[in-house]
Amino acid sequence: MAKKFMKGNDSIIVGALSAGCRAYYGYPITPASEIAHAAALHFPALGGTFIQAESEVAAINMCYGTAGMGIRVMTASSSPGVSLKQEGLSYAAGAELPLVIVNINRGGPGLGNIAPEQSDYFQATKGGGHGSYRLIVLAPNSAQEMCDLTMLAFDLADRYRNPAMVLADGFIGQMMEAVDVPQAKPVPYDHSSWCVRGDEATRRNVVSSIVLDPHHLEAHNLKLRDKYAACARDEVRCEEYRTEDADLIVVAYGIVSRIVYSTVDEARERGLKVGLLRPITLWPFPSARLAELAVGRAKAFLSVELNTGQMVEDVRLAVFGKRPVHFYGRCGGVVPGGDEIVAEYARLLKGGGHESH
Amino acid sequence: MSTELTVASYKTDLKPIWCPGCGDYGALNPFYQAMLDCGLQPKDTVIVSGIGCSGRFPYFCNTYGFHGVHGRALPTAAGMKMASPHLNIFAVGGDGDGLGIGGGHIPHVARKNVDLVYLLLDNSIYGLTKGQSSPTSPLPMSSKTAPYGYIEDPLDPLAMYIAYNISFVARGFSGKPKQLRELFTQAIRHKGFSMVHVFSPCVTFNKQVTFKTFNELVKELPEDHDAGNRIKAMEYALDRSTLWTGVFYREERPTIHERVVDIQNRAGRFKDLNELLDDFR
Repeated sequence: MAKKFMKGNDSIIVGALSAGCRAYYGYPITPASEIAHAAALHFPALGGTFIQAESEVAAINMCYGTAGMGIRVMTASSSPGVSLKQEGLSYAAGAELPLVIVNINRGGPGLGNIAPEQSDYFQATKGGGHGSYRLIVLAPNSAQEMCDLTMLAFDLADRYRNPAMVLADGFIGQMMEAVDVPQAKPVPYDHSSWCVRGDEATRRNVVSSIVLDPHHLEAHNLKLRDKYAACARDEVRCEEYRTEDADLIVVAYGIVSRIVYSTVDEARERGLKVGLLRPITLWPFPSARLAELAVGRAKAFLSVELNTGQMVEDVRLAVFGKRPVHFYGRCGGVVPGGDEIVAEYARLLKGGGHESH
Repeated sequence: MSTELTVASYKTDLKPIWCPGCGDYGALNPFYQAMLDCGLQPKDTVIVSGIGCSGRFPYFCNTYGFHGVHGRALPTAAGMKMASPHLNIFAVGGDGDGLGIGGGHIPHVARKNVDLVYLLLDNSIYGLTKGQSSPTSPLPMSSKTAPYGYIEDPLDPLAMYIAYNISFVARGFSGKPKQLRELFTQAIRHKGFSMVHVFSPCVTFNKQVTFKTFNELVKELPEDHDAGNRIKAMEYALDRSTLWTGVFYREERPTIHERVVDIQNRAGRFKDLNELLDDFR
C-alpha cells in the first residue's frame, strides 16, 4: 500500500485498525482529540465501535469491560486525562487484562498547557496507579512508529495479559509525516482460557482483581512479578547511533531523540564524539545495554528530556555509578534546539562537566 | 473599601478571549450586573471553574478565582464554602464539564444544599477541544466524534436538577441578558444551592444548536408560575416544544453549613483537645 501523509495521532488509528482493534472509548482532550476523531470516523466503517465516554474514568472502565471479554480495545488521552485513568489501569493490571492506552503527553503538572512534554515518564513507567504492577510502555518518535508501535502494543498486551501504553509527546502526535501504511496482519489470540464472553467455553472463568486472602494475594503478586521479569528479559527495544566509539552517550526518546539524532554528526565534526541511545521501550528499560556501555569506552552519559529529570533516574540506575550521568531538560512546551544541545555536549566534554540542571 | 461599587468594580483588565459572538459574553455582562445588584464585595467573592471555554470566567472577574480540575468545579466550590461560609461562592462551567465528566457531583451538592451559585453555560458541544459531542447535543447532531450523527439521547438537565431536588433551579438564555441579570440576582440571594442553567450558543463549533434555535424556542415562564410547585416545575422542564426560562423551582431549607454547626453544638462537650483525649476510647 502507498505511503500516506498524516498526523501521528491519525497514524495511531491506522495501527489500531491494522492490529484488529475494533473497540475505542475516549473523551476529548487536546492534543489527543484527533485520535478519537479518527476512531469515530473509521471504527464503524469496519464494523467496530466508537463511543465517546462521559468521562476519562468511564472510558477506561469501558475498556476494562471489553478487555474482560477478550476483545482488543483501546483508549487514548493526554496527561490530565491519563491521570484520571490510573485507577482503571491498576485494576486491569491486577485482573491481567490486555488493553492499549495512548498518552499524548502535554505540559503539566495539573492543567499545565497543551504543549509537548515528557513529564509523564514517571507515571507511565513506575506504576501510576496503586499496587505492584507495570505498564508496558512504548515510545514512538515518528508518525510511522505511532502506527507500528500501536500494533506492537496490542501484541504485547495480549502476550503478557497486561495493559500496554503508547507514550508520545504532543509533537509526535501533532506532526504530519509520511506513513507506510501496513498490510493488516492481526495476530490471532485465543483468550478463551481466561476471558468471560458469556458462552460455554468461558463459563467458568472469573475476571477479577480482588484477592482477599493475604497468602493468595502474595502468590498473585509473585506471579505478576515473574511475568514482568520475563517481559523485561525478552521485550527490551532500543536503537543506537554511533555509540560504539562515543565519549558521551546521549539517552533520549520521542521527539527529543529526533533532535539529538540530528546533532550527532554535527557534534562530531566539531570534535565532540557523541552517540545516541534511544529507548523504544521505556518499560522495560534498556538497562542491560546501558550497563554494558557504562563499562566500555564512553566517559559519560547525558539524558535529554522534556521535563525536569525523570528518565535520568533509570539511566543512573543502569550505569550504577560507573560513569557520570548528566541531565539536560526543557519543559513547559519549550523544546531544545540542536545548537543548545550541542553546547551542552561541549560543556560536558570540554568544560569539566559540572552537574547540570 | 470606601469606594462605591460599580459594574467596573467586577471587571478585570483582561479582554475575554472568547470567539466574537460567543454566548458566554451574554452571560458575563449580566453576571457583573447581578453581583453589583447584590452589593457583593469583590474581596469576599470567589469564582471557581473547571475546564472549557466557560472555565475562563474567573479571569474576567475582579474577584478571587480558582481554575480547578476538569469536572470538579462543584466539589471544589463546596469545599471552599464549607471552609469559609462567609464568602460568596460561584462555580462556573459548561455542559461537558458539568454534565459529562463532572455530572456525578451535582446531586450530591444538591443533597448538601451548599449555599453557592452554579452557572452552567450550555452550548451542546465541547468547544475548547474544537467540536466534539456533549451530553446535551441533540440527535442526530454531527460533530468530530459523531461524523455520522450523534447516537446518544441528550440529557434533560432541568428535569434532572428538579429531580435532584436542588433548592433553586432557574434557566436563562444569553440572548436575553436582562432576564439573566434578574435570575443571577435571585440565585445569589437564595440561601442554598442555586443552579442557573444558561443556553449559551457556541458560534464557532456548533452550527446546529444556535442563537436562532433558542430565539425561536425560548419563552419566559408565565408570571403566575408557582416556583414552590415541584410537579409543575417538572412539567415545564420536560416541555420540548417550548424552552421555558425563569425560576422553575425554589425551596428554603437548611444548608450543609447550618447542619454542620448543629452537629458542632451537639458534639461539642469538650473544652479542648486534652479533655477529648482523656475521654478517647
